[in-house]
Amino acid sequence: MQQADDQRPDAQALGFLTAVDTPAHGFLGGYLLVDLHGRPLEFHCTTPVKVSRAQQILYGATLPAHLHGRQLGAALLAEGTVEPAVVLTDLEAMLHVRPHTPLPVALVAAADSGRPDAVALGGAAVVPPPTTSSGDRWRAALESLAAAVDLREPFERIRAAIEEAQRH
Amino acid sequence: MESQPPAAAPSSLPPRRTWSATELTLPAPRVHRVDPRLPASAVLSVAVVGSRPVVTRLPLLDKLPTVESYRFPRGPAVASPPPAPRAPAAAPDRVPNMSTGSRTPRATHTRIAPPRDVVKLGERFFFLLQPDLETILDTSRLEFPRPPFPFQLDGIAFLVPRHSAVLADEMGLGKSMQAISAIRLLVRSGQARRVLVVCPKGLVSNWARELADWAPELLVAVIEGDPVRRRWQWSLPDVPVKLANYEVVVRDREMVAELGLNFDLVTLDEAQRIKNRSSQTSHAVRALRRGRSWALTGTPVENSADDIVGLFEFVAPGHLHERMSPRALGAAAADHVLRRTKDRVLEDMPPRLDRDAGVELTRHQRETYRLAEEEGVLRLAGMAREATIQHVFELVLRLKQICNFDTHSGESAKLERLEAELEEVRASGRKALVFSQWVETLGRLRSRLDRFGALEYHGGLSTQARDETIRRFRHDRHRSVLLLSYGAGAVGLNLQFSQYVFLFDRWWNPAVEDQAINRAHRIGAAGAVTVTRFVALDTIEERIDAVLRRKRDLSATILSEAGTPEASGLTVDDLFALFRLTPPGRAAAA
Repeated sequence: MQQADDQRPDAQALGFLTAVDTPAHGFLGGYLLVDLHGRPLEFHCTTPVKVSRAQQILYGATLPAHLHGRQLGAALLAEGTVEPAVVLTDLEAMLHVRPHTPLPVALVAAADSGRPDAVALGGAAVVPPPTTSSGDRWRAALESLAAAVDLREPFERIRAAIEEAQRH
Repeated sequence: MESQPPAAAPSSLPPRRTWSATELTLPAPRVHRVDPRLPASAVLSVAVVGSRPVVTRLPLLDKLPTVESYRFPRGPAVASPPPAPRAPAAAPDRVPNMSTGSRTPRATHTRIAPPRDVVKLGERFFFLLQPDLETILDTSRLEFPRPPFPFQLDGIAFLVPRHSAVLADEMGLGKSMQAISAIRLLVRSGQARRVLVVCPKGLVSNWARELADWAPELLVAVIEGDPVRRRWQWSLPDVPVKLANYEVVVRDREMVAELGLNFDLVTLDEAQRIKNRSSQTSHAVRALRRGRSWALTGTPVENSADDIVGLFEFVAPGHLHERMSPRALGAAAADHVLRRTKDRVLEDMPPRLDRDAGVELTRHQRETYRLAEEEGVLRLAGMAREATIQHVFELVLRLKQICNFDTHSGESAKLERLEAELEEVRASGRKALVFSQWVETLGRLRSRLDRFGALEYHGGLSTQARDETIRRFRHDRHRSVLLLSYGAGAVGLNLQFSQYVFLFDRWWNPAVEDQAINRAHRIGAAGAVTVTRFVALDTIEERIDAVLRRKRDLSATILSEAGTPEASGLTVDDLFALFRLTPPGRAAAA
């Protein structure tokens, strides 16, 4: 996703990006944009992507990068009309979206994940994005949100919404 | 058979393999006989030259999935300042406590689930994607006098998304607090700007107090006074909450229509008042133009399934009808009704100790009673088909009054027992509530219980006098006893600082008795609440008690999904049966 030159990340918004692997339908991606109170601003979800056994073999180790990074992650981020200060994901595979977006993407892991590269924040361990041209602007927004919301909680909402979409 | 090498193959070189684009030819292998005694090897020729191989094209993951997008309005609350970043010293895994602002681990995540009648996916997402209620309350900077219980948060989360809702919690669980908090959230988020709360006259000041406690930032106008004043109050544009009693709503029905008032939400307290669809009250509240309709009642089904149908004529007109079976009613109402009972949600609720105090009438009382009953039954029997429910009712009332006080001597076995009990109450510095069906009985009790500082509370007093009575009873330690009528004192009052409840005589319906008891046995009760039911032995009271005990399961089917069985009252058949009589109509039919 290309960011317009005159468009600056919204310090009042954060993005939550994840995917759900359902036995019946395959992978569905969800992208939730919230304000600093955790209230929803936008929600984007994909149609299911089913990966065949042959595709698994053909893509091999590159499958997560392609599926989560390009297919689901990049497609979802491209639809957001709000540019969040940072995009959080709870899937390591989703970090492969980084080459497809100028937005900083951080990983939210369980607080007891024991990752040495993580910082404790909002009841979780956050693996920060690599240093970007936008510096650490994302950090202030993330700390504000973490003061109000458990950073793992919005992913539960995305999963609940995807589940609802499947039922609908 | 001896195999021969192909003639074309050179004898000194291994056979050459030749490939073409469409076929594969393998020359037969050379076979040598090593030992002439051994049988010659058999050679099988397998044709490997076939048709052109099939090429399968495997689709790659190159087509991007379709993305569905949903955008949500930014409510006014979003514009409020964002929470400050966490101080470095604070523990990272703790969250603000909604009551104090201090950071404590959040034990519950209460979700606002979309109601079933919200069908559009985008609207369902709006609810599903909201933060949990604890976070919403926290970030809205809403303060509460005390932290809500988890089940109360569930109640708020139930009300907020619903346009049609019946909050039918058992008395004492804080229905008004839950409704006020939900109103607060709707007003704060801009979803409601004009809210009307309707309650019984005697509870207006109670509601005003509760609103001030639980939603101090909301302006409230109490609709009262002469018509000119009321018109002005109805018309106030910048007051989000208006509070009126049922009688005012009936009286001002035309005025409200004439003013073109349109409410975002109308909430009815003690909504069982509108169960009779043909009543003026029901017509008046149903005529109110409104977006949302909420009903609060501890007894959604008092006597029959029709009660809840009547309630739904306001909440969701046409959703239920009287021809539905109880099971169908329950299923249709399920998503609109939330019913919890104390034993289910309040594990730490102080215990309620119930005891039936059988009282032997005094000698004079017994004689008066015997004569009255014999005379009354003889009279009823003599009337045969002319006997009506009214005649039976009058006899029951007369006998019950004698059970309270002997009409000739003034003796009262119950009073003697009550005085003994109250001595203990006073000595322990506690307070007691005494309920009776009759204001006259309350007056007689007051004169005899003066040494306990007894106060009276009933419908014969003005609203101001009743408020003053409650204030004195609450704050004056010399006032140990409050005498209440079931009619005025059974609903809405918060008297949880009282530890004893005496039912001097019995009401017709145990649900009303429960309401009375729950004035003391409710959230905030300081300790165990002891409930004493006086029953004059071997009298009509004992027989009524037996009937009511059997009838506690009438509406169990309707509310089985939401709560415990309701209690129901006496029917015509029950009343006649008290004297072993059959209603005239039934006798003819038989």
